[in-house]
Amino acid sequence: MFDVHFLQQIVNGLSLGLVYALVAIGFTLIFGVLNVVNFAHGEVYTIGAFAGLLLITSVAPPLFAVLLVVAAVGALTGFGLERLAFKPFRRFRDEASIKSRAMREATLLSSLALSIVAREVLDLAFGGEMQVIPQSYLLQTPIMIGGVALTDGNLVILGASILMLAGLQWMLYRTRTGLAIRAVSNNVLGAQFVGINTERAIVATFLVGSMLGAVAGIMVGLYDGSIFPHMGFGPAVKAFVAMVMGGLSSIPGAVISALILGVAESVATDFVSAGWKDLIAYGFLIVTLVFFPRGIFGYSRERV
Amino acid sequence: MVAMSALLEIEAVTRRFGGLTAVDAVSAEIAQGALVGLIGPNGAGKTTLFNLISGVTPVTSGTIRLAGETITGLEPYQIARRGIGRTFQNLRIFPNMTVFDNVSVGPLGHTRNFWWEPLGLGGARAAAEREQITKSARDALARVGLSAEANELAANLSYGKRKYLEIARALAGRPRLLILDEPAAGLNERETSELARFIRELNGEGLTVLLVEHDMSLVMEICQRVMVLASGRKIADGTPAEVQRDAAVLAAYLGTEDEAHA
Repeated sequence: MFDVHFLQQIVNGLSLGLVYALVAIGFTLIFGVLNVVNFAHGEVYTIGAFAGLLLITSVAPPLFAVLLVVAAVGALTGFGLERLAFKPFRRFRDEASIKSRAMREATLLSSLALSIVAREVLDLAFGGEMQVIPQSYLLQTPIMIGGVALTDGNLVILGASILMLAGLQWMLYRTRTGLAIRAVSNNVLGAQFVGINTERAIVATFLVGSMLGAVAGIMVGLYDGSIFPHMGFGPAVKAFVAMVMGGLSSIPGAVISALILGVAESVATDFVSAGWKDLIAYGFLIVTLVFFPRGIFGYSRERV
Repeated sequence: MVAMSALLEIEAVTRRFGGLTAVDAVSAEIAQGALVGLIGPNGAGKTTLFNLISGVTPVTSGTIRLAGETITGLEPYQIARRGIGRTFQNLRIFPNMTVFDNVSVGPLGHTRNFWWEPLGLGGARAAAEREQITKSARDALARVGLSAEANELAANLSYGKRKYLEIARALAGRPRLLILDEPAAGLNERETSELARFIRELNGEGLTVLLVEHDMSLVMEICQRVMVLASGRKIADGTPAEVQRDAAVLAAYLGTEDEAHA
């Protein structure tokens, strides 16, 4: 059973899962501070991919520079998104209104609206079909490691994702910025009254989450060889499922769930046709909602 | 006890919510180093006044000054940074963070440029400021006797310890004025008297304390001065003995007992 093919599927699944994890962290961070789902998060991923593609076709810098610039573009996108779709609905300072239902529903719609606009603008500007990616940037060069056939894309995704996850942990647990974000995520009002500017904490989570999402977008675009205006939808749905499985505001929960999801999807393609593999995520979602409404790691209640 | 200079000055502060006047032209001064109680039946406007001081709710009219500086109109976090620390009736600790991290947030707001630290823009100063936070947090934990629990998750502390954790968090920010919102709520008699002793100790070290309580006994026991609110107005202001004899206070507490506890 433990043959080379299986190992290969695991590695592919882990790459896929790490991508879902990067996207899921954006959802999770934002849910942590605002209790809302950012429906435009999938478009941040798409914008990351397009920004990378534009850079590649115009300047053609080395790959790591592409990733860095995309991270910056992602952060900027997150900033704009927060100011346009979230900030206008936050008028009061108390916790009741910061995390209120009205605010949740308003921003759900405003972020959805913004995501549609972004998608349609990309569609108008670039056309709906897949973009042509210069051959030299495609991350599809086969690499054999101990009989397992990988691509350089697997390695880039594994390496960059692990680096970013480690960076995130460092930021959250070793810097004052992270301390402030965790405090706001735990209790907005409590943080405010010991001198934390909650507005900045909210913006910071959008910056960080969108940065990770955008980098995930360009990596997958180059790995799959497909960049198109609707590319963000699938990963966003999977990441959303991972967030729910992980208990909504737990980063470790979301990452582990995303890895499970990625591996399950990858392994499942051996048993079902590729067209059905999306069903796996929905299956996990249903099982989670029915049997583990607080997430499969919900008992620990560890947030951010 | 009309003392030295006023640390907090509340000047004709009014707050209306639609047709309801929750706080009605209240004026008061809290002297540097004082231990003042604020009492009143439920719905008297204590919490609103409290929220006006800490900036959650904007005033409709009037001015509040801290050490001579107007703080009305500032954001709550700015007011906190100017030196007003507070605790909450229904605790607002950070349950999923360690006790140590909880307390570290207290001094965090006083350090500079911490939003840019992940980009390395804090420079050498960042390390020094992190050091300072750690030291303040350690001192504050030692002060309330929670050093042994520093690495526990705050959610795992007992209710009484969580109260002290919240006080430690406020103390770690080195406040000029500490406002305690119903600190005795939910504590038994022994715990309450321990808390009373602790508050008096803090005050003895020079910290100005404003104690907001629904229940009179703690306030009467430890405060040098007591203000009484009823229906949004200040109806009495004096020593505990004076206030206890005040006809308006007795009416507010006894005369409308049913309404007060509704």
